[in-house]
Amino acid sequence: MQTGTQARKYRLQGAGLDLALPYLMLAPGLTIVLGVLVYPLWDGLRASTRAYRYGSPVSHVGFRNYVQLWSDAQFLNSLWVTVKFVALAVSVEAVLGFALALFCLHEFRGIRLLRTVLIIPMVITPVVVAILFRLIYASDAGMLTALSEAMGGGGVQILGNPLNAFIGLVVLDVWEWTPLMFLILLAGLQSLPHEPFEAARVDGAGSWRVFADLTFPMMRPVLAVAIVLRTIDAFGTFDQVFVLTRGGPGEATRLISIYGYDTAFKFQQTGYAAALFVTIGLVVLALAFSAIRLLRRIDAS
Amino acid sequence: MSSVLYQKVVKNFGALNVLRSLDLAVPDHKFLALLGPSGCGKTTALRILAGLDMPTAGKVFIGERDVTRLQPRDRDIAMVFQSYALYPQMTVAENIGYPLWIRGTPEAGRKAKIGEVASVLEIGHLLDRRPRQLSGGQRQRVALARAIVRDPAAFLMDEPLSNLDARLRLTMRGEIKRLCQRLSATTIYVTHDQVEALTMADFVAVMHGGELQQMAPPIEIYDRPANRFVATFVGNPPMNILPAALCEQGVIVAGKVVPLDAARLAACRAASVAEIGLRPEDCSAAAVDTTDALPGEIYVVEPMGNETLVNVRLEGGNVSVRAGRDFRGVVGESIGVAFDPANACFFNSDGLTAVHRVNNNGRVT
Repeated sequence: MQTGTQARKYRLQGAGLDLALPYLMLAPGLTIVLGVLVYPLWDGLRASTRAYRYGSPVSHVGFRNYVQLWSDAQFLNSLWVTVKFVALAVSVEAVLGFALALFCLHEFRGIRLLRTVLIIPMVITPVVVAILFRLIYASDAGMLTALSEAMGGGGVQILGNPLNAFIGLVVLDVWEWTPLMFLILLAGLQSLPHEPFEAARVDGAGSWRVFADLTFPMMRPVLAVAIVLRTIDAFGTFDQVFVLTRGGPGEATRLISIYGYDTAFKFQQTGYAAALFVTIGLVVLALAFSAIRLLRRIDAS
Repeated sequence: MSSVLYQKVVKNFGALNVLRSLDLAVPDHKFLALLGPSGCGKTTALRILAGLDMPTAGKVFIGERDVTRLQPRDRDIAMVFQSYALYPQMTVAENIGYPLWIRGTPEAGRKAKIGEVASVLEIGHLLDRRPRQLSGGQRQRVALARAIVRDPAAFLMDEPLSNLDARLRLTMRGEIKRLCQRLSATTIYVTHDQVEALTMADFVAVMHGGELQQMAPPIEIYDRPANRFVATFVGNPPMNILPAALCEQGVIVAGKVVPLDAARLAACRAASVAEIGLRPEDCSAAAVDTTDALPGEIYVVEPMGNETLVNVRLEGGNVSVRAGRDFRGVVGESIGVAFDPANACFFNSDGLTAVHRVNNNGRVT
């Protein structure tokens, strides 16, 4: 009797099922990944080697799309605008975020509330943030113009002036994403051991030396991670610009993402746009890899 | 080097009273151990001296200087932390040299000094490593080197040996003692380990519940404890305490009359003695019918190699007895516990020592 049930059990859990079970369990997830990640990626790569007319591929062009990019003045300009935007926004965010995190490390009345308030911009939908800033920047009825007029000045041109529009965009990004820097850096600061700081105070270091000799060196890996994350993310900035300026005035705020979007959907050059985005993807990938290598080196030393 | 003085130091953390009016004086060039169970306020006392915590009330002096409101860096002290607190991003040499560097010592002088203390602590070959590449014992040495690289007014050590394994702790205990004697440095050493306190210190200050219980040289702490707490906290196994009732000829302990001489008996009477204290090594195992031996039964026998610890159940409670290595008793066996009443001390009902032992085993206190 007992041997009988045991034998049936073995048959049910036979070697075949045992081997197949993990794959069966993986199948749904794998299908989704293939469908929404791998296939579109492959399709994008394929599209980047073709020429399109009226939304349909008409010919294979090999790497010609990629070569053409580097003689396209509009592409080069949008790349330059993006690099300027990312470098400026991320460095301001890093400095501001670090300063805020250092400040919020101290315990005092209302600190919990302050920490919470500081995170709010990050959790607002980007499009809403952009609309908010358009209401602030608008030259006719915007907040800045209203303020200026209340103080006896004239209307303020933000979105109509190339330099002001670019700065306005950076300000928006800083406002929205400094909280992320702040959050990561605060977590990093809070995880540092206390004793070395006390030892340094006993050894004779003042606040500035403690920061320069201990806090900053110990925070370098965390800072690097935060900057890399933000850089990758900032390269893909789209919705804020789309709502705020659509890339204008002229090409002043035309980030690579906006130019790519225009190429694909306005100018219907699907293949060319695909090549553009693949190129940007590779650039970001290279950035990420070099950042990780940098981190490893900091870690090892 | 300087003396250190606590004057009526109080520390509250919110409603929690951690130190209640601590008065403590450490003479110049002396090694003081602050001893007590965890939560007794010893680390808080040290941190107040370091300037890492501010006292709620009272004053702290280093030498003639009132340092109560000074920043740690202005107090001219060096500290060794329990977790060593090395600077992780700096090399060993940079760690050791940091107190000099921050004070603007020129590089040549700094290098010479680093080399000197590194050779004293035998870590000269580690100077280019970083803390994470060192073992616990090596980190300990680096932390010590960083403390002695300057010539501060006082050394503060917060349980520096508690993160080491047992064998290394023994070695470092001896080394720190030697180092401190060599430097003739005023040292405040916080520990919960009574063996460390007794073996290393010139003076031991026993703390409990935020209050100083007794401050005295180690032998005196051991032989003439001020109260029941000190008596039982210092010594391993701890002092045996049994209820004692006064009678005509002496005191009644575990159902037996223990005769006392006239002077001690009078002192016991005057203080209305409630308990007797006996060190395990002052007790000996005897036949159960020996005159004056307290009758009991063997509860646990623990052979230690060099001796045997015997726990005996008596009428008023259990006592530990240090018996010879050849002790051959069996659990449950009847046994007598013999002792010389001159070695006993007596506590009154408040737990204060009313009558000290007479014999000091030839030691001068």
